Amino acid sequence: MVSPADRPRNRLLIPLLRRLLSGIGTLWAALTLAFVALRIGGGDPTQSLLAQGLASPQQIAALRSELGLDLPLPAQYVRYLAGLVRGDLGRSLYTGRSVVVTIGEQLLPTFELALVAFLVSVVLGLTLGVVAGWFPKRWSGRSADALSALATGVPVAVLGLLAIIIAAALARAAPPLLGWLRSGGVLLPALTLGIAASGALARAIQAGLLEASGAPYLVAARARGVGEGARLLWHALRPVLPLAVALAALQAAFLLSGTVVTETVFSRPGLGRLLVTSILEGDFPVVQGLVVLAAAVYSITQATADMAAMALDPRLREPS
Amino acid sequence: MTKRRFSVAVALAWVLVVVAAAAAAPLLTSHGVVQPVGHPLASASSGIPLGTDELGRDLWSRLLYGGRASLGASALAAALTVVLGGLAGLVAVVGGRWVDSTVLLVVNSALAIPGLLLALLLVAGLGPSLPTIVLAVGLGGAPGFARLARQAFLQGQTATYIAAAAALGAGRVRVALAHLLPNARPQLLPLAATYYAWSFLGTTTLTFLGLAGDPTHPEWGSMMNAGRLHLLDAPHLVFLPGAAIAMTILSVHALAGALARPRPRPSD
Repeated sequence: MVSPADRPRNRLLIPLLRRLLSGIGTLWAALTLAFVALRIGGGDPTQSLLAQGLASPQQIAALRSELGLDLPLPAQYVRYLAGLVRGDLGRSLYTGRSVVVTIGEQLLPTFELALVAFLVSVVLGLTLGVVAGWFPKRWSGRSADALSALATGVPVAVLGLLAIIIAAALARAAPPLLGWLRSGGVLLPALTLGIAASGALARAIQAGLLEASGAPYLVAARARGVGEGARLLWHALRPVLPLAVALAALQAAFLLSGTVVTETVFSRPGLGRLLVTSILEGDFPVVQGLVVLAAAVYSITQATADMAAMALDPRLREPS
Repeated sequence: MTKRRFSVAVALAWVLVVVAAAAAAPLLTSHGVVQPVGHPLASASSGIPLGTDELGRDLWSRLLYGGRASLGASALAAALTVVLGGLAGLVAVVGGRWVDSTVLLVVNSALAIPGLLLALLLVAGLGPSLPTIVLAVGLGGAPGFARLARQAFLQGQTATYIAAAAALGAGRVRVALAHLLPNARPQLLPLAATYYAWSFLGTTTLTFLGLAGDPTHPEWGSMMNAGRLHLLDAPHLVFLPGAAIAMTILSVHALAGALARPRPRPSD
C-alpha cells in the first residue's frame, strides 16, 4: 500500500528510471553499431600500413594480434566491450599512442566550440521562434520566419565560408577588427554553428506558439485582462517548453556532426578534425573511440532532456 | 498565400533548371573537366564564361558536371533510404508483433547515433569514395525514414477498407502492396522529398570534408573544399558551388513543404 504522500514522487521516479534504463539500452546498441559499421567493409586496417610501406609484414602480424584482428568477430566484440568497461579504447595505428589520450587532447577546443554554439543557438532560436510565432502578421515576425528558414536550409559549410569572407571584408575595411577576430578564436566558428543550429529550435517554438495562440486558455487569459507579456511568457510558452527542451537536446546531435564541419571550415583543432583525418588515414581505433564518445554524449543528453521534459510536463510521464 | 505560392514557384524553377543543366551538361559546354584550358584563376573570357579554377580548369564545365555528380549521388542515396526505410516500415506494420518489435529495436538502435555520424562511420568502414558516400548516406537516413514511414502505415492500417480487404480474404502482402502503400502516398511523398534534401546535404557535406576520394572529378562539395585555399583571393570558387548547394536544399525543403500541405478542394 502506497501512502498518499509517496505517490506523487513515485509517479515521477518510475518513469525517470524507465527512461534511464532505455538510455543504457540505446547506448549499448550504439556501441554495437559502431563495432559492426567499422567492420562492414571487411577491410583490414593494417593492410594500408603495409601498402604504404610504414610497417614490415612481421610488424603487421604483431599489430594484428595485438589489436585482436586475428580473432573471430564474436571474440573481437567481447574484447571491445571488455576494453570499454575498463575505459580502454586501444591504440592509434599511426602514432601508437593511447586513443583515450589522443581524444583527451582534442576534447577542450571542441567542447568550447560546442558550448558557445549551443548558447548562441538557444538565445537565437528562442528569439526568432518567439518573434515569428507571436507576431506572425507583423514585419518582424515575417523576417524572423524567413531567417529561421534560411538557418535550417543553408549548410554549415556554406555558412562558415561565407562568415570568413564577410569577416575578411570587415577586417579590410576596419583593420583593428582583424586583431579582434583573430584573438576571438572561437567566436566566428561558434557563431556559424550556433546560427545553423538555431533554425530547428526556432521553427519548433514558432509552430508551438502558433498552435497555442488560438487555444481557449489564451482567449480566457485575455478575457481576464492578463497583459500581453504575461500571456506570452506564462500561458503560451509554457506548453511549448518541454518540446523546446527536447529539441535543445536534439541540437546535441546537430552540434556533434556540426563541429566536424565547422572545425574543417575554420581549420580549428578538435575532435571533428581528428575524426576526418582518422577516417582518411584508416586509423580505425581512433574512429571507433570517437564514435563511442559521440554515442555516449548523445544518449546521455537525450535521456537527460527527456527526464527534464517529464519534470516540466506531467503529460509526458504516462508510458506511451 | 500568394507569397507562399511565389516561393514554391521559385523553388520549382530552380530545381528544374539545375536538373536540366546537369542532364544537358555536354550540350552546354565544350570544355572537359580535367584538362586545363588556361592559367589558374584566369578571369572570364570567350569560351570560358566563369574563368578557370585553381588548376586552370574551366569553372563553368566543372559546375555543370559537378552538379551532375552531386544531384545523381544524392538521388541514389535518397532512393536507397526511401526503399530500405519504406520496406522496413511496411514489413513492421504487416508482419505482426514480433516482426514489429524487431524492426523497432534495430531502428531505435541505429537512431542512437546521429545520421551524419552514422554515415561518417560507414565511410570509415568502407573506405572514402563517392560510391561509398552514396551507400553511407543512404543507409544513414534509412532508420529515421523507417520510423516515420511505419507511423504513416500504422495510421492507414486502422482504416475500414483494410479490415474489409482482409475480410475478403486478401493476404498480408496484398493488403500491404495494394492498400497500405498507395494510401500512405500523400504522407510518404513529402517525407521522401525531405529526405532527399537531407541526402543532398549529407552527400555534399561528406564530399566537402574531402571523403570523395578522387578530387579530379568535379562535385559541388569537393569543389568547395578545393576552393577553400583560395577563399580570399577567389571567393567565387567556393561561393558558386556553395550557393548552388544552399539554393537546392532550400528549394527542396520548400517543395516538400508544399507537398505536405493539404491541397485546397475545388469547392473551397
